[in-house]
Amino acid sequence: MSKYLAQRLLIAVPTLLGVTLLIFIAMRVLPGDPLSAISGEGGGTYVLSQEQLQAARASLGLDRPYVVQYLDWLRDILRGDLGKSFWRGEPIRELIFRRAPITGQIALMAIIISGVIGLPVGLIGALWRNSWTDYAFRLVVTLFLAIPSFWVGLMIVLSLVLAFTWRPPLTIVYLWDDPIRNLQMTAGPALILGVALAAMMARITRSSVLEVLGEDYVRTARAKGLRERTVVWRHALVNAMLPILTVSGTAFGALLGGSVAVERAFGVPGLGLALVFAIAERDWMLIQNLVLLYGVIFVLINLAIDVSYGWFDPRIRYQ
Amino acid sequence: MEQPHPGRKVNRRRFLKTAAGTTAGAALTAWSLKGPALARAAVRTDRARAAEPNPKRGGVLKWAGPAEVAHFDVHQGAFRFILGQMHNNLVRFNPADGLKTIIPDLAESWKASPDGKTYTFKLRDGVKFHDGTAFSSADVVATFSRIIFPPSGMASIYKDQFAAVEKLDAVDRLTVRFVLKESRPYFLELFTPSSMIIYSKKALDENNQDLRKVIAPGTGAFMFKERKAAEKWVMVRNPNYWDPEIPYLDGIEMLHIPAWTDRGTAVLTGQADYSPNVSLETYQEGLKRKDIVGTVRYPGEFNSYQVHINNDRKPFNDPRVRRAINLAVSRQNLIKAFGTQEPIVLTRWMSHASEFATPLAELEKLPGYRADKAADLAEAKKLMAAAGLADGVKNVDFVSASVAPHAEILAPAFQDELRRTLGIETKIRVMERALLIEELKKGTFDMMVQTEYRSPIGDPGPGWEMCLKTGGSLNFSRYSSPEFDRLLKQVNSETDKGKRKRLFAQGMALLDQTAPLYLIGFTDHLPMWRTNVKGHASEGRVFSELGRVDTFWLDR
Repeated sequence: MSKYLAQRLLIAVPTLLGVTLLIFIAMRVLPGDPLSAISGEGGGTYVLSQEQLQAARASLGLDRPYVVQYLDWLRDILRGDLGKSFWRGEPIRELIFRRAPITGQIALMAIIISGVIGLPVGLIGALWRNSWTDYAFRLVVTLFLAIPSFWVGLMIVLSLVLAFTWRPPLTIVYLWDDPIRNLQMTAGPALILGVALAAMMARITRSSVLEVLGEDYVRTARAKGLRERTVVWRHALVNAMLPILTVSGTAFGALLGGSVAVERAFGVPGLGLALVFAIAERDWMLIQNLVLLYGVIFVLINLAIDVSYGWFDPRIRYQ
Repeated sequence: MEQPHPGRKVNRRRFLKTAAGTTAGAALTAWSLKGPALARAAVRTDRARAAEPNPKRGGVLKWAGPAEVAHFDVHQGAFRFILGQMHNNLVRFNPADGLKTIIPDLAESWKASPDGKTYTFKLRDGVKFHDGTAFSSADVVATFSRIIFPPSGMASIYKDQFAAVEKLDAVDRLTVRFVLKESRPYFLELFTPSSMIIYSKKALDENNQDLRKVIAPGTGAFMFKERKAAEKWVMVRNPNYWDPEIPYLDGIEMLHIPAWTDRGTAVLTGQADYSPNVSLETYQEGLKRKDIVGTVRYPGEFNSYQVHINNDRKPFNDPRVRRAINLAVSRQNLIKAFGTQEPIVLTRWMSHASEFATPLAELEKLPGYRADKAADLAEAKKLMAAAGLADGVKNVDFVSASVAPHAEILAPAFQDELRRTLGIETKIRVMERALLIEELKKGTFDMMVQTEYRSPIGDPGPGWEMCLKTGGSLNFSRYSSPEFDRLLKQVNSETDKGKRKRLFAQGMALLDQTAPLYLIGFTDHLPMWRTNVKGHASEGRVFSELGRVDTFWLDR
């Protein structure tokens, strides 16, 4: 097992290097200069002389060759120093430490919500296939798959303001500081993301369980006279988990992407919102590090899912 | 359509004459009696005060707006509305009378020489910066020398507006003198925006004249306490403020809420007390919720919407083509189309809030500005035919920012008007704002929807200098007219208000004919506040200065 883990972690290194290279090149190749965004601040657009531009570039380290900039960035990452935001001059590590708990909490809550809703809905749909309950669940699932999360988020915020003159808090409140206000801020985005993820999970759970229920070993289990509950929980669901887990890995990626839009809709000052503004401001350093962080999270989640295959299916051995 | 046109009640020229040789306080007191009453009997007019009598003390104001800065040097472009809270100017507009009159700030009094070429400011004694350094004329000289004669490598973004200054010096510890190459009737007003803060010489010297990485101590009513990047700024009351009466608040929390709708909903739901500019839909909601919030329209002087027409590129280098566009495209239609986003007000080459603006009733009868386009369209077609373009123009590169109001409303609406009226076929090129600014500076466009036509102060003179003069720093349309430049020189050195008004009128007529760009109009800002927030006199404001909150108080 430990050998397998080490192998997987080793494989993750070139993947993450690829991510760093891709995002670094993309930021340099795509048009848009951070200096233009900065020179559009406050007093409106103003024109910098070549000398001023040169000095500003040098102060941001952008006057060095690309290779040097890239290698410096990698070296800084290894040292745990993610550099400073071009736009705000704030150390990026601090920004991540401050905002990640909010985004992380939203993601975690969304995952729990998706599991709590998605698995039972999918399972019920499969067990009572083509019943009214199944039709109703499928309708709701399709609805939540089709509606963009950020739109639902906007509608919720708007409805709360108009109906109750209330909206979720706009400034960071940590769970350990003020749990009630924190939940007011995170519950909405978590619910929206969680329900969207639950819809995806319900769909894949339904089809996986249906497939497994038709397998010979399920028929054998029933023929042995096992109780239906045992058949479903011990034989059908456990075996149906592999595709569910596989899809969940991809779904978590979608959740990371979705968090950007949903944080924007709810005005939650998390990492997603920071990324939105970093892109608008062409804050290369911040974009690079946030995308890398999202990449690391994605790789780790998929690693965890791969490892969990063995738990659900003993036939898979990590040797 | 509602078209507020408050105009100015202030005759600045008369004010300057009156103020010369006297203390500013006495002159202002006398002058202020001519203005509208706003609990004036209870209010000193030579000092910044809340308009209401007996303001309450205490509390922390939660301000919602764009509270983020790329760096901390206001004179190099940092966002002034945040940093300005910790500083003072030489003079400022009076918050109690709706920003109609200029009152002392760090300058206790001032006088202008009869030829208008020398301004002498007598400074307040006993003022201290937050680090305990005593304020003196050296600080004023250091501040404005850096703006006007910047050191190598410094991006002094306000340099252009002080181009007429020949030199400045400290006459003594508390007296500063500015000597101008030629008189500027609006010179005093140049010191009023919240960007014109005074830095300490000590801070400038210690930081090699570059304050981008330093939150420099000010003399202002609030002191820096805490900043959480992209979240909020926290400032506390300066207990040693030179004016013992203000601030009324114990502190301010300036929340970084970039989206207009979020700002509006923050005030509506009580998460913030005041926002200088909210979205149109939340403003409209605010109008229905007068029990909890107040909201008005601040007449805009600084934000406009326009289509830059590249005067360097064919066929737009022909003024007849530009004039045809200005005649044919309906401003009313564009304003109506954009009405769901932001209120744009019809105007002519300057903000509708300017005292020199053409009155709306008159404007609505002028070619190019009137709603009935029949005659204008016929004239526009004649001009196009004379330019050899009777069949229109193809493949015009029309650039727009990717933000929805520009890319999805204004640009398509303008495109449709051009196609229907003059057969000008444009291709809209949408790009992010950061890229757009690059294109704007390089001039790699035929047309571009933008928001960069403005004046740094209420007087349109410096704005014309920056946006329309040959080689002006914001002349993104690349307009060049020797005749206009001559006229501009006259209007900006003339001190008689009546003559200036006539010169501005001549200028506008010339601009109508030569049409450097297509000005849609200036916008109003939409502030919103909880009903217990007082001391801002928003209802009477004549323009949308989003500056200091030192006279705000909370009625709790």
